[in-house]
Amino acid sequence: MAWLRDGCAVLVAAALGTTAAAAVPTAGAASEIAGYKKLSLAQLMEVEVTSVSRRPEALADAASAVQVVTGEDIRRAGAQSLPEALRLLSNLEVAQIDSRQWAIASRGFNNTSTNKLLVQLDGRTLYTPLFAGVFWDVQDTLMEDIDRVEAISGPGATQWGSNAVNGVINITTKNARDTQGGLLTGSAGTVRAVAAARYGGTIAPGVYYRVYGKHTERDSSVTAAGPETGDAWRMSQGGFRLDWERGATNDHVTFQGDAYQGTFGQSANRDVEAEGANLLARWGRTFGPKSTLTVQAYFDYTHRIIPGSIAERLGIFDLDIQHRLPVGDRYDLVWGGSFRTMDDRVINPATLAFLPPHVERDWYSVFVQGERALLEDRLRLTAGVKMEHNPYTGAEWQPNVRAMWKMSDRQRLWGAVSRAMRTPSRIDRELFAPAAPPFAIAGGPNFKSEELLAYEIGYRIEPRAGLALSLATFYHKYDDLRSLEPGPVPGAPSMIANGIIGKSYGAELSAEYRVRSGWRLRMGYTEMRVSSVTKPGGLDRTSTRSQVLDPDRMALLNSQFDLSERVSADLTARYMGRIANQNVPAYAELDVRFGWRPTEALELSVTGRNLLDAQHAEFGAALPTRREIERSVNASFTWRY
Amino acid sequence: MAVLNYTPGRAADPRRLSVKWAAGFWLLLALVCPPPLPAQESSTKEYQIKAVFLFNFIQFTAWPDTAFPDATAPIRIGLLGTAPFGDALQAAVQGEKIGSRPVTIERLAGLQEAAGCHLVFVGKSEANDIPAIISALAGRPVLTVGDMPDFARRGGMINFYLDGQKVRFEINRAATLRSNLRLGSQLLGLARLVGPQVSAGED
Repeated sequence: MAWLRDGCAVLVAAALGTTAAAAVPTAGAASEIAGYKKLSLAQLMEVEVTSVSRRPEALADAASAVQVVTGEDIRRAGAQSLPEALRLLSNLEVAQIDSRQWAIASRGFNNTSTNKLLVQLDGRTLYTPLFAGVFWDVQDTLMEDIDRVEAISGPGATQWGSNAVNGVINITTKNARDTQGGLLTGSAGTVRAVAAARYGGTIAPGVYYRVYGKHTERDSSVTAAGPETGDAWRMSQGGFRLDWERGATNDHVTFQGDAYQGTFGQSANRDVEAEGANLLARWGRTFGPKSTLTVQAYFDYTHRIIPGSIAERLGIFDLDIQHRLPVGDRYDLVWGGSFRTMDDRVINPATLAFLPPHVERDWYSVFVQGERALLEDRLRLTAGVKMEHNPYTGAEWQPNVRAMWKMSDRQRLWGAVSRAMRTPSRIDRELFAPAAPPFAIAGGPNFKSEELLAYEIGYRIEPRAGLALSLATFYHKYDDLRSLEPGPVPGAPSMIANGIIGKSYGAELSAEYRVRSGWRLRMGYTEMRVSSVTKPGGLDRTSTRSQVLDPDRMALLNSQFDLSERVSADLTARYMGRIANQNVPAYAELDVRFGWRPTEALELSVTGRNLLDAQHAEFGAALPTRREIERSVNASFTWRY
Repeated sequence: MAVLNYTPGRAADPRRLSVKWAAGFWLLLALVCPPPLPAQESSTKEYQIKAVFLFNFIQFTAWPDTAFPDATAPIRIGLLGTAPFGDALQAAVQGEKIGSRPVTIERLAGLQEAAGCHLVFVGKSEANDIPAIISALAGRPVLTVGDMPDFARRGGMINFYLDGQKVRFEINRAATLRSNLRLGSQLLGLARLVGPQVSAGED
């Protein structure tokens, strides 16, 4: 195998244009160990052993508003889809529109096609370059394989890139090493049935794999008047993941992929057909405690036919490199770059069109971020900038400056100032209606990036062991938000432009409390105000108020309670304020799950969702056709062997 | 219009595969090749943390006096099976004394060598031998620390598990009491307790 290894080393090095293989690992673990020994046991329990973030760090030390739920939290909440899992993060607005569509945002500007949020699953970007939103109906994985979900509210553009304007969601699945053996799970309920299987094994020492398959069927949503709306759906998905750890994980290679096919009902048209597949490879090498190199590449293919609207066939290739290294004793540097290319073909209906229908476009970016520790590591200053080049507006600069002050072992104060850009997607530049002249809407030839300037201050405290509180406050100022401006003369087509400005401010409070062994509480409360107005002289034809479809406040309470070692009773209560511009009433809902493990291998559970109302609306204009979400109950089993 | 001739399901024209797409495929293939061997092995952060946990476990455990031949005899840690600590565990106990006792680490070739140890770390590779390990050490003042699912439920004393990205541990208190080991409240308060319930007065 040596010839293969050496040959590949040359290939990889050549591909990277570096001689990564020649880098020398740094000295042993003694200094890291000395640091960990200074921590109390409770603090040691909070250290993250790895992290998907650009800079691994303990959550308490992050200079941003980050919240995390683990796979265990998701399992105990009985979440059966990614959006349901996201409901456990109190810094996200999660609204279910109908049986398959979701409006998910952070810090406002929520919409069916929220375009200011970056969502990634194992490093693969989920939003579509068509409109910079996420087709949530086809984003799925085996819920049992999720390791954690991390939601950063506020901009993360310097590290993560465009679209990370109001927030970043990172969904990470488990290392195949941790999903060995078989798993069979099935669930049947009043609105949904799910069946899934997974098997994980070892190919050779240090080489682990898993394969999974999953099928979901869901019933229609309803309207206020009652009748079902014909949006029932079914989806099948399968995938694999292979993890290869070399030595004591100085190298870690991951290879993973998924494929899916789904059919989604529409009330007034034939079914939506969607299919897709992706393949991702990642190589990470650890040179030393603060020195790592990661190279990741993936292909993502999606195909969607929406009768009555467009059909789209999209291919994306994405390459991402990041390198972290210490510079002297006090500086820590991360730099990286990415390249992304897409091939997108749209078949347009008569009523609207993306023109030209077929485009090939490229993006590339470079970023550098440095961190300096001061005052014996009590103060950390971070500064970084990302330059991202997009095919519409060229280079966009996205800098940020952050500071984190360890006031004491139990208190942290942080602050940040950032600039983030929402770069144009196809819909901003290339949307025409109808599909042939004379147009009523003639694209947005002059549409430029939307800009955010964000100011954040946060505070974390651990008043006693087992209790952690976090407060993040923000002031966001937006410029050049999207508008639709009428033509210069009567009869001339309207054009997409940047005629709106906006602002938002608010506070996100979250708490985690281990009441005692076997009882854990997670709480969240967000209060915010979001507004937007047309610029002087602007004549926006979409109501400026339609930009703001957000509640003023949201609250979450999640309790995980072990009745005994084998029986658990968990509940999740949430409150969403009224969405004034859509007349969506405020609502409170309750999910309850009872779990029972009669043997080590088997778990049985019963979950009730949205128990407080027979049905309720979460999003959408107050029309008779607005969909509502029903109370539901399901029973599930999970068998591991 | 040309666009109407495009039908879903038709394969893409291979001539349209531009150079960058071909380069992408090539790179993806290159990435799955085995990367070159590291020049030097080091432990992962996970095992660095676990090493420090082991050191903490020793500090917060009281062994009966009969577990030591004399007042300055070392506390012996034995490693059974997979124990990828690298030099982290040595670094964690280097130069440390618990009372008047230094701490030593030894690699155990088999279960028969475990009896003289005070803490035995049972690695993932021993998952099939848990019953044999538990019964061999039953009643002896040996703190057993496992690194695999269900170790504590099946009679081990302490077991590591990962909660997301954080190292956590569970304690089977009944097992520690059977061996006359007393664990400090610092440990019991932070652990997930498993196994038979033990009433508060019992230790």
